[in-house]
Amino acid sequence: MKKSLMTLVAATLALAACGPGPTGGGGGEAASRQQIRIVGSSTVYPFSRAVAERFAQANPGFAAPIVESTGTGGGMNLFCGGVGAQYPDVSNASRRIKASEIELCNRNGVNQVIELPVGIDGLALIESATRSTGFQLTERDVYAALAANPFGRAQTARTWRDVNPALPAVAIRVYGPPPTSGTRDSFAELILDRGCNSDPAMQALKESDEDRHKHVCTQIREDGAYIEAGENDNLLVQRVSENEGAVGVLGYSFLEENASRVRGIPIGGVTPTAETISNFTYPGARKLYIYVKGEHLNVIPGLREFLRAWAQGWAPGGYLSQHGLIPLPDAERQAAEATVQNPTPITAANLQ
Amino acid sequence: MTDMAASIDPSPTDWNGEAMRRRIRRRYAAERRFKLLGLAAILVSAGFLAFLLVTMFSNGISGFARSEVRLDVDFPRSSLFLDPAALEGFGADQALAGADFPEALNEAAQAQYGDSGRSLFSEGAWIGLRDAVRDDPSLLGRRATLWLPASTAIDIAAKGEGEAEAERLKARLAEAGRVRTGINWTFLRGSDSTDPSAVGIWGAFKGSLLTMIVTLLIAFPIGVLSAVYLEEYAPRNRWTDMIEVSINNLAAVPSIIFGLLGLAIFLNVMHLPRSAPLVGGLTLALMTMPVIVIAGRNAIKSVPPSIRDAALGIGASRIQVVFHHVLPLALPGILTGTIIGMARALGETAPLLMIGMRAFVAAPPGGFADPASVLPVQIFLWSDEVSRGFVEKTSAAIIVLLVFLLAMNGLAIYLRNKFERRW
Repeated sequence: MKKSLMTLVAATLALAACGPGPTGGGGGEAASRQQIRIVGSSTVYPFSRAVAERFAQANPGFAAPIVESTGTGGGMNLFCGGVGAQYPDVSNASRRIKASEIELCNRNGVNQVIELPVGIDGLALIESATRSTGFQLTERDVYAALAANPFGRAQTARTWRDVNPALPAVAIRVYGPPPTSGTRDSFAELILDRGCNSDPAMQALKESDEDRHKHVCTQIREDGAYIEAGENDNLLVQRVSENEGAVGVLGYSFLEENASRVRGIPIGGVTPTAETISNFTYPGARKLYIYVKGEHLNVIPGLREFLRAWAQGWAPGGYLSQHGLIPLPDAERQAAEATVQNPTPITAANLQ
Repeated sequence: MTDMAASIDPSPTDWNGEAMRRRIRRRYAAERRFKLLGLAAILVSAGFLAFLLVTMFSNGISGFARSEVRLDVDFPRSSLFLDPAALEGFGADQALAGADFPEALNEAAQAQYGDSGRSLFSEGAWIGLRDAVRDDPSLLGRRATLWLPASTAIDIAAKGEGEAEAERLKARLAEAGRVRTGINWTFLRGSDSTDPSAVGIWGAFKGSLLTMIVTLLIAFPIGVLSAVYLEEYAPRNRWTDMIEVSINNLAAVPSIIFGLLGLAIFLNVMHLPRSAPLVGGLTLALMTMPVIVIAGRNAIKSVPPSIRDAALGIGASRIQVVFHHVLPLALPGILTGTIIGMARALGETAPLLMIGMRAFVAAPPGGFADPASVLPVQIFLWSDEVSRGFVEKTSAAIIVLLVFLLAMNGLAIYLRNKFERRW
């Protein structure tokens, strides 16, 4: 037994000595990379994943891309870290790149940032399909019900009727994304901000004190009427479908998947459907982007083919529409397809 | 004197007196209450465990099964332009990639099941068609019957919890003998996918395995050697006290901190590849090592000093004492500590998120430096999926993780019994 123990210990030590072997090799491995690396927005993640899968199936010669969900801002930080194998090739974004991020990229030697709008994602307000209250809201109602200080005054609304006498006297209970979520940013930007600006005084405030305006218009109440549902949107759908009078805020693709359990609430008389979102008549619609590092186009194998896989997917009736991505209007889509064929970088000046 | 006599009752204790009986009853009652309280505590924890296992197994067991729908494909008349000769030898992959299998599946499904025929099959069903042709190119010359994965709606209906419409469709198919349910080999052999009928756990399982190997290879020798040095060689002074306190603190540090440490050192300074099991293993080794050191020191401490003295007395050197006597006797305790540390590392998600293992990886890792996912992260990713087909897959993945844990614990118990010595 003693001998067997000694061999065990010796073997472990020998293996441990080998342990750092791959460590040393790892540094060299980073110098060249076979697979495409994608980081960024959790909203674009499911679409990006579907493209990666399609690309890998259609091109057996290339390694399957790695898609990581880091959030738009975190993705941009990694993407703009520099040129080389340890930095990602593509960054997904649920908003347009900021001028400051382009500057960061340029400082680190990334001068060719190629922008591709890939489609539209809708944000939807939902309620239970079976226990429907029949909500008809406007941006102003939503803002007045959820803001911490609606129009700069103290928040006193308990029921929807307190907000707008035409609405039912149902307690305000809204399940929505936490502040870290990209969906929350869009919610603040697309719904709350517009509802807030329906008051001319608030528009005037924007001119005079932008910070104060942002605070008044996008700060959400924290007294329990707005319930942060975490990043788990399935749970949110379940909660809303089981509670009469509860309202949920989430990405349109979830509404489409769960159409039997929840229904979209019309905002300003417009019901969220694929059509109203693609022509931007429903207020909760936003464009999604991917950013590609031009310096990597000829270095990382398959990067151009990967972009073509995107172009196949985002066309109307393409495979991405099954995942809930809504195609861009024709002119913009053709422009994006032209960029895929002939990638041209953007500069900070392009962002207006 | 008389005062004293008055204060002490000279008569013997009256065991049958009313006051005494009451006191005895109270003592017995207290005893019973305590026993019941303990029993209730056990029942509560056992109840939670049973609840966890029952929900996981009842939700997850169907994840290991898959429904398939029959499809008759008339290859010569389909729109597939493929030369069987091109499928032999080199270039076969390219030839297969060039053929339009999704369209061929569409045609065949519509020919057999009408306009909505395609919706009976899963999104990735055409891969089954492709693989069938790859395995047997002679299919291209004849009519063939294939079983392809059913769509999520039909799959859920076949497992008995679907929506009304899917249930009706499924009943019609079942009558005609066109649907069957079998073991989902794809789940055991495949990797992550966007289509719940095509996902597999093997990629994440292999990622976990590679990560654990790195963790064990780094943490076990370093942990055991530190424990031996601290117990057998280190002088007792302020420095060793400080080291001891630091190790105890390190064992209590939240795991996310180790993730940040791994990000800073292994990725930003050493430039190791992101998402690799190598980096995951190194990060988790940092976390596991203090646990092994503490368990190892306790095990070494519990070896009776008489054994060391006897060995030294007959002329053994220090290293002989350690390797011939102390370590073999302490090994069962060290192994238990190691397995507890490893089990914690196996279930850890937070530090791995920081080093990029929360990623979509569609192929199993080929080595330590390849991008990989691990089981707990895979569970986390699937639990966040839109499609309903992922619910059972999430539970099934949890079952795989639990089985992995059980296997590790079983190995620990086996090794402990093998090396256990009593004195």
